[in-house]
Amino acid sequence: MNRVVKRTWLMALFICLLLGGLGWFLFDYTVSAPKWIGSAGSSYVHAGTVGFGSITDRSGDLLLEIGDAKSYSQDPATRASTMHWLGDRQGNISAPVISNYAADMSGYNVVNGVYDFSGLGGQMELTVSSRVQNVAMEALAGRKGTVAVYNYKTGEILCAVTGPTYDPDNLPDLTGESYEGVFLNRFTQSAYVPGSIFKVVTTAAALDCVPDILDKTFRCDGIYPYGEERVTCEKAHGTLDLKGALAHSCNCAFAQISELVGKKNMTAYVKKFGLTQSVHFDGITTAKGNYDVSNTAQVSFAWSCIGQYTDLINPCRFMTFMGSIAGGGVGAEPYIVSRVSSGGKQVYAAETKKTDRIVSAQVAKTLTQYLENNVKSIYGAGNFPGLTVCAKSGTSQLGGGKTSNAMFAGFVADEAYPLAFIVVVENGGYGANTCVPVISRVLAECKQVLDGE
Amino acid sequence: MEGLLEAFYASRDTYVSVYLGLLRYVVPVLAVFLLARCAKPLLTFRREPEIWAWLNLPGDNQIPITHWENVIGRSKSCDVTINFPTVSRNHAVLTRYDDGSWTITDAGSKDGVQVNGKPVQICAIREEDVISIGGVDMQLQPITAKQEQRQAQLRTKAASGWDSVGNLLVLTLLQGLMVLGFLLSEQGDGLMSILEGFGGIALCQWVLLIFYLIIRRTSFEVETLAFFLCTVGMAAIASVKPGETVKQLIAMALGVVTFLGVGWSLRDLERAKIVRYCAVVAGVGFLVITLLFGKEYYGAKNWLVIGGMSLQPSELSKLCFVYAGASTMDRIMNKRNIILFIAYSVVICGFLALMNDFGTALIFFCAFLVIAYLRSGNMGTIALAITALGFAGVLALKIAPHALKRFAVWRHVWEDPFGAGYQQTQAMISIAAGGLLGLGPDRGRLQKVFAADSDIVFATVSEEWGLILAVITVLCIVVFGLFSIRTAKVSRSSFYAIGACTAASILVIQTILNSLGTVDVLPFTGVTFPFLSNGGTSMIGAWGLLGFVKAADTRQNASFAVRFTGQGRESDE
Repeated sequence: MNRVVKRTWLMALFICLLLGGLGWFLFDYTVSAPKWIGSAGSSYVHAGTVGFGSITDRSGDLLLEIGDAKSYSQDPATRASTMHWLGDRQGNISAPVISNYAADMSGYNVVNGVYDFSGLGGQMELTVSSRVQNVAMEALAGRKGTVAVYNYKTGEILCAVTGPTYDPDNLPDLTGESYEGVFLNRFTQSAYVPGSIFKVVTTAAALDCVPDILDKTFRCDGIYPYGEERVTCEKAHGTLDLKGALAHSCNCAFAQISELVGKKNMTAYVKKFGLTQSVHFDGITTAKGNYDVSNTAQVSFAWSCIGQYTDLINPCRFMTFMGSIAGGGVGAEPYIVSRVSSGGKQVYAAETKKTDRIVSAQVAKTLTQYLENNVKSIYGAGNFPGLTVCAKSGTSQLGGGKTSNAMFAGFVADEAYPLAFIVVVENGGYGANTCVPVISRVLAECKQVLDGE
Repeated sequence: MEGLLEAFYASRDTYVSVYLGLLRYVVPVLAVFLLARCAKPLLTFRREPEIWAWLNLPGDNQIPITHWENVIGRSKSCDVTINFPTVSRNHAVLTRYDDGSWTITDAGSKDGVQVNGKPVQICAIREEDVISIGGVDMQLQPITAKQEQRQAQLRTKAASGWDSVGNLLVLTLLQGLMVLGFLLSEQGDGLMSILEGFGGIALCQWVLLIFYLIIRRTSFEVETLAFFLCTVGMAAIASVKPGETVKQLIAMALGVVTFLGVGWSLRDLERAKIVRYCAVVAGVGFLVITLLFGKEYYGAKNWLVIGGMSLQPSELSKLCFVYAGASTMDRIMNKRNIILFIAYSVVICGFLALMNDFGTALIFFCAFLVIAYLRSGNMGTIALAITALGFAGVLALKIAPHALKRFAVWRHVWEDPFGAGYQQTQAMISIAAGGLLGLGPDRGRLQKVFAADSDIVFATVSEEWGLILAVITVLCIVVFGLFSIRTAKVSRSSFYAIGACTAASILVIQTILNSLGTVDVLPFTGVTFPFLSNGGTSMIGAWGLLGFVKAADTRQNASFAVRFTGQGRESDE
């Protein structure tokens, strides 16, 4: 008998396994439970529970009501323009922003779970304006790309649309070419070849590290050779200073400027400006960019300073960069959720987070003047009545015979309208021609919305 | 009066929400109280060494005999060690029977056992007989009836009848509050069947207690915990499948009958040995029948449909397996018996492999490990068995892509929340949603997910009644396990000790696979949670296993599977 009694320890092993596993789970629970509540499959968020709550835009217009079912805005245009933030009905488009605050919004806490004492449910207010969203969507006119505007002083994103999109309550056949990549939020999840909008980066670097840059001039014959290889412009620009080079987007001049800045400096500036890093806000991590000129020929480096070669930028990141220049070297980190409340009690309120200083106030000021000059001399200030717009266009070549992407990035330099923006129209052709009409409509709408507040 | 009634109805929403709000706190508090009250005596009772006889050796050497089954030999691990070169390491087994008689059995020794000079294999011993073991002569002197009676008086008493009544009143209160919660929630359909389900459990538990009190058995802790688990399970069924409460209730009643049957069979070890042979045959029989006539659901062919009723005979085979594995000391010492048992286990595992029932096979294997180790104490055997399992497991996974899929998704459920990881992620989301105190009866969302009342019932309970209650259900099973270990020391026979430990191991392992599989700590195997999961055969099997645990309870007046001892037979007369 003694032996059998002694051997019963084996059973203690099973009990330890059970208690150990349970302990592990309970630890996991205390750490991750809020994440579970907000996860993609959570019926508490996505199919909703009674009185889970509502999501509105900055003007209080209802965008999404999650109750027993999920009901979007009454307006089909709003449904389409905001779907990439709110998620679709099929689970193809996720809603990281909602997931991020779902636990807060449902009034979740570790002790009570989502038990709703008040019956009021939760509210989330986004910083976007559905009016601007709809105008931007209309201006994109079914093309692929993204239009985004944010307040570089506070960080509020006023508008961030992505095309193509569709009305989640009126699901079209998504198999056609026109819906390619429709599940992507291009503003946060894409990385594009920047093209000439990247010249702003090179200019900022040159202004900062080349002492006599303002006295230098650059000669453009339409071709700037590097042995067999060469950098080309569409036409010979003649002699240009830095300001003129940026205004005319002269590749040959920028090849020469790239030599003045040098690989090492350029790489350091791209890093300092954070251009290849993700932006993090409200549960979103944007796509990373790319800038890699290690082991490249001089000509490739020159092209990298013109925004070609292997350069990639994420629209949200580049918009933030523009915001920092607009803010005199320091901008604000973007965000899209302004406040969250649960059961009538505010549980989250956004706070402005300043970016690190990327350039001196002096460099930012000079650059601002250059960019304003671009609009006045090239794009036409008349496109932006009542707004002092500073911007740079880009036409990023994709190779493979594809039509170039049209890019346009900049900001409004007015105290009352501190807005930075970016426009990407995929295969849109010439940057300025395609993007200026789009952003001119969107900024006008933003102005109206801000005036009304 | 009418005005009052109207006001009462008008304020309905308020008092419902107040009641449900309070219920969230009351239920866990009552459950903790109940667990503490039941677990304490089970885990802390004193285990006095009891002396049943004296072995008189030459030279006024008296050795106390402290068990009913004693191995005599040279080995230090023997119950009676006689360090003499001619004595074999394990020489003989001295066994006491219910009626106070003793026998000696040769355990395959070199020199054999002689009683009064005659070599014997097995022999009843009287007080004057001289036993000779390896040339050492000795005489057995059993304690007198008076001493035995005194020993019975000193033995730890099981909880008093009033304690048991008190505990059961608390449980009944809990059941009442839960039912009221369902009634007020008004979200469920089939309120009548919910009432029947809970009411049936309450009736069952009181009938059993009254029966116990009539036969003067007062300990009801193990049963109270089991009824508590059934109640929680009923609450899960009431919100997931309210139509099946009565079915589950009938299964529980059958389970209680099985529980009593197991206890009755174990009351007399000679009877137990006969029942054992039937069980061995039945264990294989159940599996053969399933294999021949069974239906395949969800990849495993382990269902038998008879007249519209779905049965899972493998659940009952577990019970038979415990019978097959449990053994008295004299049989354990015989090598042939363990080899026969291993062969039997191989046959059972073969059938389960054919049935594609991976989860059950795993449970059987663990039960086999426990039995093999308890009986042989040989880690070598067990290492061999584990290796064999490894190969068999790989083979089984190759054959069953359905099982492989579950393994592939293990620890990766969040990567496929709408596909392979659906049940587990939904379960974890729901556990989080319920918090520590739950959302209330029928207020959960997990009930729409497949197997919410069986495979992932842990999460359903957690969502609606809170994580505290879900953890308590697991702790109830842990208490069964710890009790089995504790009580083994004062076990009358290794048959009881092995039976109780194996049965409790099966309960613990099922709980491990069910609850930890639900929350993705372990792979999801679709095994039932004892007493909690919706499933008739599983319920009957769990109660049967509990019968083994209860039979090992040697506290005075605790288990009806243990006869009163002493001349007067009843110590409290």
